[in-house]
Amino acid sequence: MELASPTLEIDDDPEAFFQLSLAEGWGDGAPLLPPTDERVEALLEATALAPSHTIGKLPPRHGTATIELIAINATMAGVEPAAFPLVIAALEALVRPEFNAIALTTTTSSVHPTLIVNGPSRDKLRIDYRAGCLGGAAGRGSMTIGRAVSLCLRNVGGQRAGATSRSVFGQPARFGQCFAEWEERSPWPTLAERQGFARDQDVVTLHGSKGDFPVADTNNDDPRDLAYMLAKCIAYPLSNYYLELTGDCGQIVVVINPMWAERFGRAFASLESFQEYLREQAWQPIELWRPANREVLRRKGRVDAQGRVYLVHRPEQLVPVVAGGLGSLHAMFLPSWCQSEMQSAAVHGAYWTPELLAAALDEARALVRSDGADLILVEADPARARVVLRLEVGDETCATGACVMPGDTLRPMIAEVLSRHLRGALGLQLIDPRVG
Amino acid sequence: MNVPAAAKRRITIRRPTASFAEEGGAPSFELGRNIAGVRVGIRHDGTWRSWQYVARVWADLLRRDGAIPVLLQTGERTGPEGEKTRADLEAWHERIDCAVSGLGTCGSCTMWSVRDAIGVEARGKPVAAAICEEFVGHARTTASFLGHPELKVLVLPYPLETLSETELLPIAEESYPRFLALIGARR
Repeated sequence: MELASPTLEIDDDPEAFFQLSLAEGWGDGAPLLPPTDERVEALLEATALAPSHTIGKLPPRHGTATIELIAINATMAGVEPAAFPLVIAALEALVRPEFNAIALTTTTSSVHPTLIVNGPSRDKLRIDYRAGCLGGAAGRGSMTIGRAVSLCLRNVGGQRAGATSRSVFGQPARFGQCFAEWEERSPWPTLAERQGFARDQDVVTLHGSKGDFPVADTNNDDPRDLAYMLAKCIAYPLSNYYLELTGDCGQIVVVINPMWAERFGRAFASLESFQEYLREQAWQPIELWRPANREVLRRKGRVDAQGRVYLVHRPEQLVPVVAGGLGSLHAMFLPSWCQSEMQSAAVHGAYWTPELLAAALDEARALVRSDGADLILVEADPARARVVLRLEVGDETCATGACVMPGDTLRPMIAEVLSRHLRGALGLQLIDPRVG
Repeated sequence: MNVPAAAKRRITIRRPTASFAEEGGAPSFELGRNIAGVRVGIRHDGTWRSWQYVARVWADLLRRDGAIPVLLQTGERTGPEGEKTRADLEAWHERIDCAVSGLGTCGSCTMWSVRDAIGVEARGKPVAAAICEEFVGHARTTASFLGHPELKVLVLPYPLETLSETELLPIAEESYPRFLALIGARR
């Protein structure tokens, strides 16, 4: 494999590379794995994208993020090959204008990208979503994927505390934060589904988070009372939302433990009604602020006729995600600093070269052609890792099409073929004319 | 046991860093004329009361000198509000002959003040970014790697935000002629 990055020879000694990384400023102060060609190439084998392919420019210094450079940094972070496509997906989401990474990486705020993962690969890649998922569970995926993104921002984007980044404090997530949703314990559609993806896709959602704010409760048996208190905690008076001209920007992720999620799922008819209730209660009375601050809020038009200062403008800005241990009693909220919109990207979605897609379809068609049927490609959407196929039972098949495998059997077989060729889970819709 | 240096194994690694070549050096511009009759843009983001006060003082001084102040408050940068902000900036560019863009007194607001100043400079018009002293290095670095190393920076004291209007007034009056000199305007 032809790699372009300059090389350097060092002693085959972990301490030697660690010292070099500290001297060069390549790392976060913790030990890194040496990015040898063998390790880097192992990651590059996990994606169909060429090493020279560019994701975009990473802020703040607009370094060009090639797949090769991303792989080198992911190697140092300890990412395993199967997890490398999640790093790529995360960076694809990061460079979108609406994520506003240029401001996020330079602000005085503590904000940093937090990765939230959905999809079937969570367990295989050891991305934590149970007890200790926000720190301490130590799954390899959780500890390395977020770290790889942080190292890319440092080494490819040029983010340096005190220099190009003016963050006053930073935060622990700057090492890297990556957790998953406990989808099976959620009473609602998954975060990825709400972002427009299929449940069987691996999706990374990037949230510009200011940190993990813990709340706890043992007093509120009524789930609506609990939701009320949760909303009041989220609407804390020195929130960035109260510094903005409006509350109509960014999202707040509310990580809810499975036991509370079950209670909220029973108490509220839908996710939307839960979000609306939180929004309705997430306000503080203007009297909470000191007089000079009240004047600022009034001038910004943030105070309503009842003297309430609402935190956010829209219910969907409050984003529940179910995760955490079964010990109950706790939730976490991850506020943004408002100037960044949550972004999601499907893993592998952008890597479908025409040749790969053609090879995948040829093998899938072979499943039905022997029965005289065919599969027609209706749509291939790489950005959402989604394929729509239509089964055609033509003149050569039996009149009812009963000689072709039933859709329930055929669909997973086609999905396996496509996933294998396209190197990852994807959303497959099979239009079957035999089904009404 | 110490392994003799000659016997130590060596490995080859890849450098993890991108090169940060600056994207050229766009020129800056000077007015080269009297300020009277000139449409002078003053950009603020609605956050810093100190800068909004300075803007009001400067607007009065500009009118006194026969110039036409054109104030702009920028909004959010993402979502539906972000689209409106971009449209407002475009419209403002058409209505001005020169400008000052501020205030840089935090990380992202410095970056946006510089970017909005570059937006004016890219249209061939004289402009200065108003930046508090603590963030001047950040402003110059940002301007450089955005390809505008010559972007003019008006340095203001830091911090401004905690000052009363009585304390801000002499700062506003002192910095006004410095701004005019920076953009090559005469009174």
